[in-house]
Amino acid sequence: MASPGSLRRSQRRFAFSVMTPIMIYLMIFSLLPMIWAVILGFFDYSPARVGGTIFGLGESNPFVGIRNYLDMFNDSQPATVFRKSVSNTFLFTFLILPLNLAITLPLAIIIERSHARVKGFFRAVYFLPTVTSAVAVALIWGAIYNPQAGLLNSMIRTIGMTPPKAWLSDPQAFVMGIPLAMIALIVAHLWQDFGYNLVIFIAALQGIPQNLRDAAMVDGANEQQMFWYVTLPLLQPTLLFVCVMTILSSLQMFILAQVMTAGGPREQTTTMLMSIYSNAFRYQNMGWAAAMSMVLFGIIMLFTILQFRFLRSDWEY
Amino acid sequence: MITQSQTNFSHLIGAVLRYTVLGIGLSVTLLPFVYVILSSLKTPSEIIQIPPTFFPKVPTWQNFTTIFNDPKVPLGLFFFNSSFVAMARVGVTLFTSSLAGYIFARYEFGGKGVMFAVIMAQIMIPFQMIMIPLYLILVKLQLIDTLWGLIIPAMIDAFGIFMMRQFIEGIPRELIDAGRIDGASEFQIYRSLILPQLSAPLATLGIFTFMATWNDYLWPLIVITTHERRTLPLLLTWYSSNHGSRPSLTMAASVIVLVPIVLIYILFQRQIVANAATSGFK
Repeated sequence: MASPGSLRRSQRRFAFSVMTPIMIYLMIFSLLPMIWAVILGFFDYSPARVGGTIFGLGESNPFVGIRNYLDMFNDSQPATVFRKSVSNTFLFTFLILPLNLAITLPLAIIIERSHARVKGFFRAVYFLPTVTSAVAVALIWGAIYNPQAGLLNSMIRTIGMTPPKAWLSDPQAFVMGIPLAMIALIVAHLWQDFGYNLVIFIAALQGIPQNLRDAAMVDGANEQQMFWYVTLPLLQPTLLFVCVMTILSSLQMFILAQVMTAGGPREQTTTMLMSIYSNAFRYQNMGWAAAMSMVLFGIIMLFTILQFRFLRSDWEY
Repeated sequence: MITQSQTNFSHLIGAVLRYTVLGIGLSVTLLPFVYVILSSLKTPSEIIQIPPTFFPKVPTWQNFTTIFNDPKVPLGLFFFNSSFVAMARVGVTLFTSSLAGYIFARYEFGGKGVMFAVIMAQIMIPFQMIMIPLYLILVKLQLIDTLWGLIIPAMIDAFGIFMMRQFIEGIPRELIDAGRIDGASEFQIYRSLILPQLSAPLATLGIFTFMATWNDYLWPLIVITTHERRTLPLLLTWYSSNHGSRPSLTMAASVIVLVPIVLIYILFQRQIVANAATSGFK
């Protein structure tokens, strides 16, 4: 048998032979792109132009300092669209969040109280949309919203009401100041996404010990009091996690809007990620797009840090 | 004082209310699926007819045969593209996650803490931030417009490594020591003593990686330009934009793309739902 020293040496050799390629890989496919993204934001860079020797930066792809960031505030067409996409993304995110919670939390409570077999069935069905391809979801909902032959309008006509002329393409249609196309996207997104939070809430509810509820019951608490004073406080860490995850995924909204409305009508549903995508890969304006992606990154980072702040919870039960 | 019959009555009302809500939720969830299936079985004239029908008058496979016989849509090829990328990413992710997870769980070496932190930091980096430089790197490596371009940037999964490390820490050290006494090499210990213990978490990680890759859209949209190299979601948007006047065909194409993933979901439903709740997969 080998001596302890040589054994330790062979273990260390094994560990390093695994970790070295992984670290080199991460340097190329993660660290380098991160640094590069930051640098690109300070250049007027297009891959269509031949630039300097280092990453094509310099010469015809000149360094412009913080001009890309300053340009976000001017009156040019790309800057206007970008600002519109920022406000659209926030509008989308902060409508999605309360609506999602208003659906998933009560539904989770109802399901959690149901019979075990019923519970499994409903949970499985409600989760189904989250695993389906978002592109297919977008096409299906596009057909549902079709103004002539779509399911939604024929249902509205059946109950004797007049449907709107178009759900996804009428720039004049607003409900309470929110573009109709945005509302249509939100409904489709909620449909696809709600199962995820639902399942998390059900698991969290199952984790609340029965004796706490029994104690409240003995003290004469009714259903409502039980929810507000027992269930909700104990759900607080989960609630926070769910809020942050929902915010983060909504901030990166892309597929549904890209496929259903292509950002229209009149940029009313253009999201930040769509704006970054089209500037980088359609107009080849990568320096400008990289600067925009840094703004989105900053917003995402802010919410991620908030999550870590708040998730250090003192709850224990 | 509440009488017995009153409480029974309110219980009954509660149950009726509960199941009404659950039933409404169920129909809203399933209606789009039913709608796409029924629409895919309608004739091209029926689907644009006004007033629209819900159930097809005469169900027909016509839309599916049109797609299957379309020379521009060699479905087998697109299924191969999607499956190849998904299987490759599952294989590589399972290998790197279990191996690195094992190292982090059971080995001591200089820089271990830093390396672990570097890998975990990957979770915090949103893909949209690095996608532009990543594209430029793939251009340099001549991987643009290849299926490898969809696989190579996704070989390390920080979440997978974390998950495997957690799991391997629960495997008794004696097992590894026994392997060493038998003279097994370090890789043999991983291969024949650790890996067989990991079937449950590997299956979970594999299913989630498969589903995420199968449904991936933004990165393939950036990388792939040649029609024959499209994955199924890319094929789907291409197909629908080329058959805008024939929605029944688009619906049939959507059904074709949805079937495999729904089947996988039905097969692994328990595992998928339970793990989505506890592990924060998305």
